[in-house]
Amino acid sequence: MAAIPSTKEIAGLYENARAALNASNPKLDAIKKQLSQLKVGLVQVSIQNSQIELDPSFLLLKRGILELGAEVSIKAGDIAAFERYLAQLEPFYFGSFKSGLSESKVMYPLVGLNLLRMLSDNLIADFHATLERIDLDQLQSNPFIVHPIKLEQALMEGSYKRVWQARSEVPTPEYLFFMDVLMTTIRNEVASCVEKSYSSLPFDDAKSVLFFSSIDELLSFAKEHQWSVSPAEKLITFPIVAENTRMFNGEGIMKQTLSYARELERIV
Amino acid sequence: MSNNENAMDVELTAEQKQAESRRILLEGKYITRNVRFLERGIAAAEVHYSHRALRTLSNLRKRLEPETIAEVIAAYTSVSNVQNVAECLRCAVEALEMKPAANPAAKQCEPEICLFFCLLTQLYLLDNGQYEKGAKLSDTLVGMLSSSPRKTVDPLVARVFFYFSRFYEVADRLSDARPALLRALQAATLANMKESKAMLLTLLLRNYLHYKLYDQAERLTAKTTFPTDAPNNLLARYLYYVGRIEAIQLNYSQAQMHLLEATRKAPSNAATAGFQQTVHKVYVIVELLMGNIPERSLFRIPTLKKPLQPYLELTQAVRIGDLNRFQEVVSQYQSKFLQDQVLILIQRLRHNVIKAGIRSISVAYSRISLRDICLKLHLDSEEDAEYIVAKAIRDGVIDATIDHQKGYVKSAEIHNVYGTSDPQHAFDRRITFCLNIYNESVKSMRYPGSDHRKELAYADEAIRRERELAQELENDDYDEDSDADDVMDEDL
Repeated sequence: MAAIPSTKEIAGLYENARAALNASNPKLDAIKKQLSQLKVGLVQVSIQNSQIELDPSFLLLKRGILELGAEVSIKAGDIAAFERYLAQLEPFYFGSFKSGLSESKVMYPLVGLNLLRMLSDNLIADFHATLERIDLDQLQSNPFIVHPIKLEQALMEGSYKRVWQARSEVPTPEYLFFMDVLMTTIRNEVASCVEKSYSSLPFDDAKSVLFFSSIDELLSFAKEHQWSVSPAEKLITFPIVAENTRMFNGEGIMKQTLSYARELERIV
Repeated sequence: MSNNENAMDVELTAEQKQAESRRILLEGKYITRNVRFLERGIAAAEVHYSHRALRTLSNLRKRLEPETIAEVIAAYTSVSNVQNVAECLRCAVEALEMKPAANPAAKQCEPEICLFFCLLTQLYLLDNGQYEKGAKLSDTLVGMLSSSPRKTVDPLVARVFFYFSRFYEVADRLSDARPALLRALQAATLANMKESKAMLLTLLLRNYLHYKLYDQAERLTAKTTFPTDAPNNLLARYLYYVGRIEAIQLNYSQAQMHLLEATRKAPSNAATAGFQQTVHKVYVIVELLMGNIPERSLFRIPTLKKPLQPYLELTQAVRIGDLNRFQEVVSQYQSKFLQDQVLILIQRLRHNVIKAGIRSISVAYSRISLRDICLKLHLDSEEDAEYIVAKAIRDGVIDATIDHQKGYVKSAEIHNVYGTSDPQHAFDRRITFCLNIYNESVKSMRYPGSDHRKELAYADEAIRRERELAQELENDDYDEDSDADDVMDEDL
């Protein structure tokens, strides 16, 4: 078993990893390896000396390492890992460790990314719970936070065009990763709207409405959703769902009436 | 009358006030009566005696003086066998800056009575701004509470925890109170102390919401059950917190239900006006978020009229579906909404404004071009309008179809609601609600103990005898046999 590293060694290792990530073409696998070393180191140090958990410089180092981890997992496209790191960072950003530490530079970009992740996963309730914890002036002015908020508004309204445009207005390139995930969600969302509101659509219009770049993509998408396609007229027809609201639900009414009778009997 | 009394209070000097407080508390038998209630409660193991002892608390509260409390404590305590009780009372007296004294003639002090005195001390400290001492005393009390799981303690414990949490809140360190509250919740659940459990749950929710920990709060409500027979004021508070959490998490229909119930469970008098206002503020927003328009009469209630003014304007903007006006109202009252902690909820309303606009357009026009919709609702582009209308159709806001090539929206014919089973469902909901109220009121009726029944039996017998006598007088010629039968019946 290796000797327990000192805080200084961990800090040095962290600087190395950070530099490696900032390099023009980072080797993610190597950095991940370093990260796991760092995390093990942190745990060893805090087991050895439990008082160090309260030391601001140690907390700062821990936060740095977790942030690094979050950034690496975004670059690697590992959403589950990103979520874990953000959950660990929560006490540093909003919780008990917040006081006494200087604000992290990457805090709002990461929080914004997390918001975007929730949007793309359709976790709207979590999204709003997180928003409640962010300061109001940040909500209104911080570009990293404003972007997901605007997206959410557009999504709720149904202005999908604006969502599509928001793709080109991302504050940092990292946001694009989640935007792409979001686009698939939106396309399905649009598809379910289109089904209900149109009786039929010509190919060209359907293509632009669903943000497709070619007719072939559209056709395979139509197949997935079981829309009937007629190539001759170049038309997609949507199945009409007949609602029979006028059905008489005899059994339900009978049950209701019987329950009233029982209750009345109890009263009388 | 009460005004006169208040005026007199102001004029009195400190000494006179003390004498007055003493006269009322000690000689006026207030405390004696309360202690007697507690003692009877202990003897009969009946919780409602404790409630009766607590009922006069708000009246006593105005007249508390440290000297009198200390005197009262001294009068009722001997050297207690129970270590904790003695310790608590000592702390209480110390907190009042009085000398501890013991009365050897007094009986042993029961935990209930000790708690009652400590509660008085807490109240005094709270009302006189001595928060540090109050917090210290509360800590001691909370430390002791876990060791006395008796049913009659329950209401007292609940109150003690309320003021415990209040002291921490005033000192702005609510999060420090959380571990003690959680521990106490566990103890209360295990000992099946309903009122304490209800109180602790509400306090914890308040604690979490203060730090905006909606996740934790939601998990707490999901993992626990609120006692069904908790007092209404606790239930109302609990429902309000739950409603708020659900509103944040977009569970609007549940939130609406809980908030509405909270307004109904809370008594509507001057003392609860603040609570009613707070709940109604959130309630209005949730109604709007659900796409309903709150009734106009709500804003005319005298206690709500003024505080709900911004909300009335907001409602009007949403009802008309005018985005510009909506933005104006929001920016005009921003600081007020922020203070009420509903600003973020309000920002979610934007799309409801659009929906309301689309709905009124769809009702008014059987066919309208997308371009006109775009102009009427101040939207960015026709394409946007098309998506928005499509979404409204899918969400069931309007019943219509879009013709893409010709660029218009065609509304479907409005069908008669009375042809569907909707009215029946609405009717069913109301009937179930009424039946539930009836059943609950039956369940919550209290029946007096067996003493009372003896009296009743006695009265019954007397009535029967009288009636027999009357009967005998009426038929003088009754034969002896039947008389004997009657007497035997009576013996049975």
